[in-house]
Parts: sequence; structure tokens; C-alpha cells
Amino acid sequence: MENNLKIEIDSNISNIAVVRVAVATFVSNLEISIDDLMDIKTAVSEAVTNSIEHGYENYSGKVIVEAKITSITDDIVTIIIKDDGIGISDIDLATTPTYTSKPELEHAGLGFTIMESFMDQIEIDSSVNKGTTIKLIKIIKKKKSI
Amino acid sequence: MKYTYDDENFRLSVDLDEELDVSSCKSLRSIIDGYIMRYEPKEFILNLTHVKFMDSSGIGLLIGRYNLIKLLDSKMTIINATQSIKRVLELSNITKNINLRSE
Repeated sequence: MENNLKIEIDSNISNIAVVRVAVATFVSNLEISIDDLMDIKTAVSEAVTNSIEHGYENYSGKVIVEAKITSITDDIVTIIIKDDGIGISDIDLATTPTYTSKPELEHAGLGFTIMESFMDQIEIDSSVNKGTTIKLIKIIKKKKSI
Repeated sequence: MKYTYDDENFRLSVDLDEELDVSSCKSLRSIIDGYIMRYEPKEFILNLTHVKFMDSSGIGLLIGRYNLIKLLDSKMTIINATQSIKRVLELSNITKNINLRSE
């Protein structure tokens, strides 16, 4: 069984809350713990923030967020966050904990750390001047019925 | 957001009730710094009782305010962080320097 959600937003920081609430609502129909739900909500917030603040730092564009629930034995939540922004030139550096390209803006440099810690799997696909696609996967284990 | 200043104990308390992401933190940091500069408190308390969501932008907000409080040689306390906010905080080193308290 599969269920899908697709949202397209303009790269405006006020839209970040809209996306994370929509994705959290979409997965809340599953048998999911509050911790898992908040993990997904926080990771999505980080990825969309990166697209807007870094991908489209000097111009505006669109961010597309797709969420998919695949139910096999467990429920698998896959979220894809895609922008056509400036891309990431050095992924290793960008994902280093506390590294930020914008220290003057008080970024903690923990966006990727949160995505990596809170999700089961993360894939980063980025090309300079073409854009970045982030894939986040979380496995929601079904409670065994007694 | 609201704030109170206790001039007997030189204690500035700020109660937040918004979700802490990049959008809210951008405006909050200058507002909170304004209060800190005005009162130069000995203790700065950030009450997160009504904050339901925080991402890494919130950590940036806390670290930035801590750095300012440190310049004043004062201390900073966070009260009533929810379980999910604590999990975000644990990914940073910030809890080494800032007291976390529940009440």
C-alpha cells in the first residue's frame, strides 16, 4: 500500500512551517510515536530551511517536497526535498557538525546533523548551479499485536 | 513572547510561545538582545514551556544569546524544554554552558 503527498512552495521562510506541519499531519495517520513524528517534522524543517537559506540565498525559486508512505511489514516514510538553487560544492564540509557557511547569521551548523540523527537514512544529491535533492527515510516499526 | 524583569535579583525572564525556526528566530534575536542590553541582567531565563517546536535555528538563537550573556559575566537558564526540544539540544554542546531546569 502506498500514499503520496506533494507540495510546491515559493522560497519564502514563512512557508517552512506550512510544509513541516503538512508532512507531520500526513504521517500522523500512521501508528507513530510522538518522538518519531517530531523527528520527521524537525528533519523536514531543516531540509526546507537549507533549500531556502542556502540554495536560493540570493534569488527566489521553488521548493518541491514529496512525502511517500509505503506500508509493507513496517511503514516506510520517504520524504524528498528538491530545489533548483546553487547546489552544495562540498557535501563533506556542509555535513560536518557545527560547520556553517553563514556564521554571522547565527546558524548553528546542525541542520544535516539533525537530519542524520533523526532519520534512518539520508541521501544528498547536489550539483553546483543546478540544485539539491535530499531524500530522507524513516522506518516506523509496527507494534506487534499480541 | 513576553518578558519580565526582576530588579531585586537582576533577573530577566523571557517567555516564548512561538515555534522556533529560522523565520521566528530572525526577529526574536534582535528583540531579546534589546532587553538584555537594556537591563544587563545577572541571570537570563528563557522559558520554553509554550514552545512546541524547535529546530537548529533555535539552537543558533540560544547560542547567540548565551554568547552575549557570557560577555556580561552573567548566567543563562532554560526552563521547561519539552522532550523533543531536549533531543535537539542534546545534539549541540550548549547544555554544557546553559542550565536546564524544569519547574
